[in-house]
Amino acid sequence: MSTVVGARPALTWAVHIAVFVLVAIWTIPTLGILISSFRDKDQIVTSGWWTALAPAERNLVVRAAAPDDAIEENGRWVLRGNVFGEISGSVSAFGVSIQRPTEFSAGDTAETRDGELITIGENGDYAISYPERPEGARGQRLFVTSQEPPKFTTDNYETVLFSEGIGQSFINTLTVTIPATVIPILIAAYAAYALAWMEFPGRALLLATIVGLIVVPLQMALIPLLRLYNDIGVGKSFIGIWLAHTGFGLPLAIYLLRNYIAGLPREILESARVDGASDFEIFRKIILPLSFPALASFAIFQFLWVWNDLLVATVFLGNNEQQLVMTGRLRELLGSRGGNWEILSASAFVAIVVPIIVFFALQRYLVRGLLAGSVKGG
Amino acid sequence: MNKWTIAGAATLALSCSTALAQDLKFAPGEDSRFNWQSLEDFKAKYDLQGQRLTIFGPWLSSDEDLFESVVAYFVEATGADVDYTGSDSFEQQIVIDAQSGSAPNIAIFPQPGLAANLAAQGYLTSLGEETETWVKENYAAGDSWASFGTYVGKDGTEAFYGFPYKADLKSLVWYVPDNFEDAGYEIPETMEDLKALTEQIVADGATPWCIGLGDGGATGWPATDWVEDMMLRTQPPEVYDQWVTNEIPFNDERVVAAIDEFGWFARNSDFVAGGAEAVTSTDFRESPTGLFSSPPRCYLHRQASFIPSFFPEGTELGVDADFFYFPAYAEKDLGTPVLGGGTLFAVTKDSEAARAFIEFLKTPIAHEIWMAQSSFLTPFKGANLEAYANDPLKKQGEILTSATTFRFDGSDLMPGRIGAGAFWTGMVDYVGGKSAKDVADGIQREWDAIKK
Amino acid sequence: MALSQTTAAPAASESGFASALTTFVTALAVMAAGLIASIAVAVAVYAAFDFVLPYTKLLNALLVMVLGVAACFGYFWSSNKLLDTIYPASGAQIVSNITKANAIRPWLFLGPALIVVGIYLVYPVVNSVILSFHGPNGEAWVGTRNYEWLAQDPAFRESVRNNILWLIVVPAAATFIGLIAAALTDRISWGNIAKSLIFMPMAISFVGASVIWKFIYDYRPAGEAQIGLLNAIVTGLGGNPQAWITVPFWNNFFLMVVLIWIQTGFAMVILSAALRGIPEETIEAAVIDGASPFQIFYKIKVPQIWSTIAVVWTTITILVLKVFDIVLAMTNGQWGTQVLANYMFDWMFRGLDFGRASTIALVIMVMVAPIMVWNIREARKGIR
Repeated sequence: MSTVVGARPALTWAVHIAVFVLVAIWTIPTLGILISSFRDKDQIVTSGWWTALAPAERNLVVRAAAPDDAIEENGRWVLRGNVFGEISGSVSAFGVSIQRPTEFSAGDTAETRDGELITIGENGDYAISYPERPEGARGQRLFVTSQEPPKFTTDNYETVLFSEGIGQSFINTLTVTIPATVIPILIAAYAAYALAWMEFPGRALLLATIVGLIVVPLQMALIPLLRLYNDIGVGKSFIGIWLAHTGFGLPLAIYLLRNYIAGLPREILESARVDGASDFEIFRKIILPLSFPALASFAIFQFLWVWNDLLVATVFLGNNEQQLVMTGRLRELLGSRGGNWEILSASAFVAIVVPIIVFFALQRYLVRGLLAGSVKGG
Repeated sequence: MNKWTIAGAATLALSCSTALAQDLKFAPGEDSRFNWQSLEDFKAKYDLQGQRLTIFGPWLSSDEDLFESVVAYFVEATGADVDYTGSDSFEQQIVIDAQSGSAPNIAIFPQPGLAANLAAQGYLTSLGEETETWVKENYAAGDSWASFGTYVGKDGTEAFYGFPYKADLKSLVWYVPDNFEDAGYEIPETMEDLKALTEQIVADGATPWCIGLGDGGATGWPATDWVEDMMLRTQPPEVYDQWVTNEIPFNDERVVAAIDEFGWFARNSDFVAGGAEAVTSTDFRESPTGLFSSPPRCYLHRQASFIPSFFPEGTELGVDADFFYFPAYAEKDLGTPVLGGGTLFAVTKDSEAARAFIEFLKTPIAHEIWMAQSSFLTPFKGANLEAYANDPLKKQGEILTSATTFRFDGSDLMPGRIGAGAFWTGMVDYVGGKSAKDVADGIQREWDAIKK
Repeated sequence: MALSQTTAAPAASESGFASALTTFVTALAVMAAGLIASIAVAVAVYAAFDFVLPYTKLLNALLVMVLGVAACFGYFWSSNKLLDTIYPASGAQIVSNITKANAIRPWLFLGPALIVVGIYLVYPVVNSVILSFHGPNGEAWVGTRNYEWLAQDPAFRESVRNNILWLIVVPAAATFIGLIAAALTDRISWGNIAKSLIFMPMAISFVGASVIWKFIYDYRPAGEAQIGLLNAIVTGLGGNPQAWITVPFWNNFFLMVVLIWIQTGFAMVILSAALRGIPEETIEAAVIDGASPFQIFYKIKVPQIWSTIAVVWTTITILVLKVFDIVLAMTNGQWGTQVLANYMFDWMFRGLDFGRASTIALVIMVMVAPIMVWNIREARKGIR
């Protein structure tokens, strides 16, 4: 294949560029949220994430110190301070009335109706001078236009990672996910083998039924099943959710695994049969090792699905400390009314880490897995 | 294997819920704002040592902590184990739990509509006439409050199921006092004044209102509050009641007129920040930030009492932002109607502890503990107004207890498919340019469909 | 398989109702014995460990996990052993024994899967069918009224229309882009990195995905700083910002893009594996014949992996029918974006009408039936 491409350098470049464009399109949305997750809560909703690196112009409303604190200087009462808090920047313009917030440039002196003289320097230092001794705890409002350097923070991640109970939820999620991934694979593999290589009446119909069940909408099953659980005393427990995930994932597992197992070379199985191996031995010693790639790929999909699931977990597990899973915990962080984009973006990345590790660990099997009947003869 | 797992989980659950018996926020007997005597009386009546009470509600994070600080006093007084869990998908989960028989002892409903549905299917336990009378007598506008908790049960008879505790106030307009001062605006006392002020601000070259209806899948709900407020300001409360129960159709001309009253504000591009097109797509959480920007994107924002949690960090209520009552028309003589909301406590699995908890909610102390912290209002006349943590809260509490007419958020009273569906989408269409009559016709058609 | 057919032949000759019954009863008995034995052992071991070890959450979870998996294995092993003991493959009746054992064994292999599928899927389906003839709370019998209501419901028609759009666009786009991505990434040195990046959205939950796309589709009125990338581009080019997810009809496509974005990685990975499985000789022959790379791709490679494309297509189709998270999170069916799965969810939890919700669920299942029938026929052709 490489010879074909090698012969046409122009085409090679086209391929590189095409892939690059595709990757860029696919990565940009995630990149956006990655950058957002390091940004300040207020900045996320006021400027686009792609401007995160550029200095931002901000219009600030700052309340000066309380007039009570003014000190007498040369017959006037003066109040000094700085308009910037944690983020420092440089002032380009300021104003003393909300209607004209950019009336004066930095360093100028503004005079208010009451005869106060106000000046704000480029570094944000302000001085307000009153003709008489001022009173009150409510400071004068200053309107400042400033250029601010980009600011990044890890606060969002700290909020998510060190929130109360997140470790427990992580363990809960693992407790749910691992058996809910392994059990359906085991059960499905045996069933898939029977459907692919064993002769029995009603095989095609059975296959059709099982595959047809892939489309059963999950939501429909929740109430009857939980009712059943309560009737037989399982209630909301881990064993209940393992079996539920097993049940919901099984048809797809059987469908994919059967396709793969049916595509294995017939000769290997027949020679084993001639050697006197039983079906059980054939399955354990030949089919299982050979179909490992398919098992691994299904494992990835089932793992991703269970890991990211919220619906099944909220129904079959309780909301208490001992049972709450990661997705549920992250949802809680958002509060009752949602809208905390900074937490959402950080938690999306926290939740993504484990699935990505699993994906990379099993990736090379994926390449060979799930091949259905496609490589027959290959 | 099952039994073992369950047994394990149960012991764990028990051990964790005792941890909930945390420190009491205010030491009993110390602060004179609190009615400690009521706690003592309650303590003397109940001993629930070893009993377990599960409560399930929509409150999470800060609200959850606040509620648990109240629960701590119940635990201290009775010795019961209380296990509160919150979920942001409460509405779905309570349906699943009730239907499948794993309901908690007490469920906290944010909407009467959902509670009414569950009551009709027989999943709620009546709280009895005595409690109903108590609410009628001890809450301001007690009859309205009692009626929010009264539903038709499975047997077809009406009974009192939902105990109202924790109220929200919707008829509020938020503004920045300094901006008003700079521009020389006065707080309007009547709807006529408010409309004049709106036009005045436009004449001064600024934009008066920030209105944002956006909320992802729930987009449109803030507009329903507007329309409800307008209903109460243009029609007597009886008409409002008939409207929410569909005794008068949604496309009645009085309702259409109220929708157009809202349209006067929201569909005029000069009146709203970003123009009328921006209204439906502006997120309701981001909408109020327009008040605080420089120069201000708007001067006024009508929203319920919870909205300060979406104000920029460091905003001090009463100084940097304040509110006034969304006024009534002087010419209509309908008094001072107040629109509000509230959560209802219903017994979903009867037990002695569940009953005791409802009794606990009747004590002043159960209200005062939360009042003294934040985001809590109560219509309970027996609770000490001085217990409110700050002046704005106290002012809201006063609006609530002095209302001549109090009505619950109508969209919450309507069936879910209307109040949390067709009404929302209808309002989005209306702001988008469809006529009020067409929108109302559409909502009524949807209502007819669910009756069939 | 030829072998198993010859051994199965005698069984067919003596077949009849009685023997089928015997097979069935024996299979059931062996299955039950295997299940009980393995679960009993697992519980006993659990109890023993639980008695000895101090209780810690993680340890307990691990133990239960290992035992659960062991019980699974134990079942297959013990039931198989039991079958071999009842019908030993030796002695006088060796042929008859093997025949009988072979008739029972498939059911032992299938047993757990059938039980689980029966409880978790068949039972709810049957339940839905029954509920669809009942009123809101599943009590009053209403005959076919739910179906009549559905037939004239405008929102239902809108959902069906949208669902058909989704069914056409998403699997086609995801498979096509996935195929292109697979073909291209196989030709370059950094192909694996590219693949991983394109696959990454698969690992993101739907809730996460809807947040990610908020930063693409977000709308601010003209004149304000846009935080949505798409509007920033549009205004940068001098256009007016649009509230993308509210634009009638086209908003459906903006929602579909999210699912295409997630599913393309899945299609790519599988198709890339299939492409690599194509024998070199066929391609070399074409190269010698002077075929261009495009001709090779469309005329030789694509036909060879046709059945894999079908599997990918089917899998994504099924996913599309069930998808509701994206719609729920981004529009909840407003602005004409309703789809069946979300509409069902709506009637179930907002309408609290289980009869109507069940009826819609059945429609979803019926819609996919033709695709499944076609697929099974393909699969059976593959075996023969």
